[in-house]
Amino acid sequence: MLVTIDGKKIKVNKKCTILELATKNGIKIPTLCYHPDLRSDGKCGVCVVEVNGKLMTSCNNDISDGMIIQTTNERIIKQRKINAQLVGCNFEDEEEFRKWLKLSNMPDIDELKFKPHASQELDDSSHDIVMDFKNCVLCGRCIQKCRDIQTVNAICYKGRANATVVTKSLGKKLIDTNCVGCGQCSLVCPTNAIREKESYKEIKKLLKDPKKHIIAQTAPSIRVALGEEFGLEAGISVTGQMVSALKKVGFKKVFDTNFGADLTIMEEASELIERIRKNKDLPLITSCCPAWINFIETFYPEYLNHLSSCKSPHQMFGALIKTYYAQKTKINPRDIIVVSIMPCTAKKYESCREEMSVGGIRDVDFVITTRECAKLIKSFNIDLKLEKKMQFDNPMGPGSGGGAIFASSGGVMESAIRTAHYFLTGKEYSAIDFKVLRGNSGFREASIKIGNKTLNLAIIHSLKNARKILEILKKTRHKYHFIEIMACPGGCIGGGGQPKPTSKEIIKKRAKASYEEDKSLEFRQAHKNPNIIKVYMEFLGKPLGKLSKKLLHTKYSDKSKCGL
Amino acid sequence: MQIKRKTNFENFKVAKKLSPEALIKKVEKSGLMGRGGANFPTGLKWKMSRPAKYLICNADESEPGRFKDKFVLDNNPEIVIEGINIAMYALSTKQCFFYLREEFKKYKEKLEKIIKEKSKYKITIVIGAGSYICGEETAILNSIEGKRAETRHKPPYPSERGLYDEKTCVNNIETLARIPLIFEDDFDNELTLFSVSGDVQSPGVYEERQGITLKYLAEKVGAIDPYAIFFGASGGCIPFQQDLILSYKEMEKTGNFFQTGIMFFNNEKSVPDICRSIIQFFNEENCGKCLPCREGNFRLLQLFQVILKRKWTKEEFQIIQDLIDFVPNGSQCGLGKSSTIALKSAIKYFKNEFDKLIE
Ligand code: SF4
Ligand code: FES
Repeated sequence: MLVTIDGKKIKVNKKCTILELATKNGIKIPTLCYHPDLRSDGKCGVCVVEVNGKLMTSCNNDISDGMIIQTTNERIIKQRKINAQLVGCNFEDEEEFRKWLKLSNMPDIDELKFKPHASQELDDSSHDIVMDFKNCVLCGRCIQKCRDIQTVNAICYKGRANATVVTKSLGKKLIDTNCVGCGQCSLVCPTNAIREKESYKEIKKLLKDPKKHIIAQTAPSIRVALGEEFGLEAGISVTGQMVSALKKVGFKKVFDTNFGADLTIMEEASELIERIRKNKDLPLITSCCPAWINFIETFYPEYLNHLSSCKSPHQMFGALIKTYYAQKTKINPRDIIVVSIMPCTAKKYESCREEMSVGGIRDVDFVITTRECAKLIKSFNIDLKLEKKMQFDNPMGPGSGGGAIFASSGGVMESAIRTAHYFLTGKEYSAIDFKVLRGNSGFREASIKIGNKTLNLAIIHSLKNARKILEILKKTRHKYHFIEIMACPGGCIGGGGQPKPTSKEIIKKRAKASYEEDKSLEFRQAHKNPNIIKVYMEFLGKPLGKLSKKLLHTKYSDKSKCGL
Repeated sequence: MQIKRKTNFENFKVAKKLSPEALIKKVEKSGLMGRGGANFPTGLKWKMSRPAKYLICNADESEPGRFKDKFVLDNNPEIVIEGINIAMYALSTKQCFFYLREEFKKYKEKLEKIIKEKSKYKITIVIGAGSYICGEETAILNSIEGKRAETRHKPPYPSERGLYDEKTCVNNIETLARIPLIFEDDFDNELTLFSVSGDVQSPGVYEERQGITLKYLAEKVGAIDPYAIFFGASGGCIPFQQDLILSYKEMEKTGNFFQTGIMFFNNEKSVPDICRSIIQFFNEENCGKCLPCREGNFRLLQLFQVILKRKWTKEEFQIIQDLIDFVPNGSQCGLGKSSTIALKSAIKYFKNEFDKLIE
């Protein structure tokens, strides 16, 4: 096919959209409703170009032979300016809107002429997500995520024509819907009509309180994404700068959640071995992802016995801070405030669960997302890029490489297998990088030999795939031994609280950075981490021991009737 | 009226003597054009859809000023069923969905009786949920599938990938009613049902040839002081002209858009007022999917409501004109693309009326 774009003749072999062709050739066409991971329906009209003299949207129209495409001229600019007027009043604030104009290559416009109209009540009933649909431009990305990729259907369209709105299913409050809190909707919402329930401002206040001992812990997937909020390319790790910025902000200690991940591995690998030995409740299914936990409790409660009883890494870590660390430093645990910086919105609710506290003291007091973390740092006028690198605090850190790769889908499984192999055979697995467990597909299967036993494994991300595997279990419960499930596409690095934009391409880059970190670390297996060995020696005893069970494990309940 | 001719399914028997290919050739040769509004050659559509998994008979008539599908249902539902049978044979289709707009559900029983007695094929009646957009050939697919009534992107056309992603042929009910007539000696492919309403003595449905003049029609229906003519809501508006030739072909030449629903207005009516009702209509009946159409029509309506209280400022009228061009350019489907045609032509032909409303 021969296509002319902005006067340049281009030969194209593969079918693609006009927008894709332009992007490939370094031409930037503004977009709003388009998202590279989702189906484009041509809803917003922002991406119009002129094709053979006719205006049409470029994100959903394929190129064809002989097309003459003009991506900008007076007529197109006029069209875009009116479009900007119609869209502008929906943004959270005008500043955000102007930023979008600039970033997306839209023409600048003078004052906004229209006022927003379809306003529903702001819904902040959920622990994780706030929905304020007066900012909605009905791009429908959130619904595609919620319905097609997560199969949760907590949100939907209602009404038609100018009364069309995106709203919560069956007209309920968000908390009463099936929402699992994954926050994928907030990750794709271009206007922040759907956003996380923020708590960084509250933390900012507490940071000024001299009586409080405020501790931050950062998830493995934050360090490989936070830089993007400060204008860095995706895939650049900013671990050291992040620690230093958080210290400047006023956190007394900055701990590495990778250490919590190591704890999870110790416990979960032991659990796997025990279940295999007793041949009970197999397959074992991971429990680090709180949105996945909400999902199974809501949709498949009959499989709850398969879940690992392990708390998620940051909860384990929180519990240890409030006990082990408090004892060691002789600080009253009631004065300690643990703030988890997570790639995730669902962890907000997780940390409020009753099960996530010991003796009335919550493991974790606040959860903020990567995006909120950036806002917090920026509010102190700190530019992360310019920070000098600092190390995580001890005594509980740093984590092993096994903890670092928790960030990507497949990471938990890989680390657990590294350690289970050692526990079962007394030997390290010969190749530490389990290439068979890595990849991008949302549904991966592998078999691994440990000693004389072959384990059938499955690694899942996106809830539609979780649904798929649970349907398989309905038929053949014993096909697998161990299943890792993460609710968000790509795992935590693609989490609902990560920087925007997030796309498959960006996720790949973040994943690469976290596997590189794993390789660079001295200890790559949880059981070799000297700090872990020390905690078990000094305090916990042994994995699945009495104290471990009390502090590091949890239970689940049937929530299928909730909200009905 | 030919469309009222009684049928005993004789023509279906004749049709079945031909091979499906030969039958489609015959339809192509007849020159029959689709009567849904897009004026697409029926034979060609069949050729592209064959072998179709589904046939859809579209009776979701809801264009303002058009009521000829209802006329067919009232007067000769048998011939529609015969036409469907011929079409299904030609298209090698086993299943037809007969899509009735919600307000037509009273015809269901009568149709089912005819189907039971006469039809050789499976025809299922589907009742819409009361949405104008479902008359659009892709929104009707979503509606039958039980999905939100939104239009789909074309391509793929229904003939390539339609209902449940299968090859589908969507035909208007009048088109299908005319199929058996092709086998009659006096078949005339120009014969069309005109729906006439407004300031006329005898509003109703008339079967006339395309190519008649407006004067002829006006006399026939007893138009009273005709001043402005609206071709439905999506067809545009022109001042009354005696010698205007009513046909798709002729009107296209002058840059106007023909529709068979013709509304006469005398000069006591205000054209901007009529325009406001039209915008109101589109503002309520678009599917809500594309922002340019949804928001554009909404803002237009807001601006047109201004004149109920005061005159437009120059700036406001400029925004109106900008939006009129903007909406069709950014919308994906026929509704969005035609929703401002009436406004645009009204401002062009009745400029003085609009000028009076500007400060
Ligand atoms: S809430 Fe956000 S993502 Fe969802 S349709 Fe509205 S603007 Fe799009
Ligand atoms: S980006 Fe193409 S229509 Fe919205």
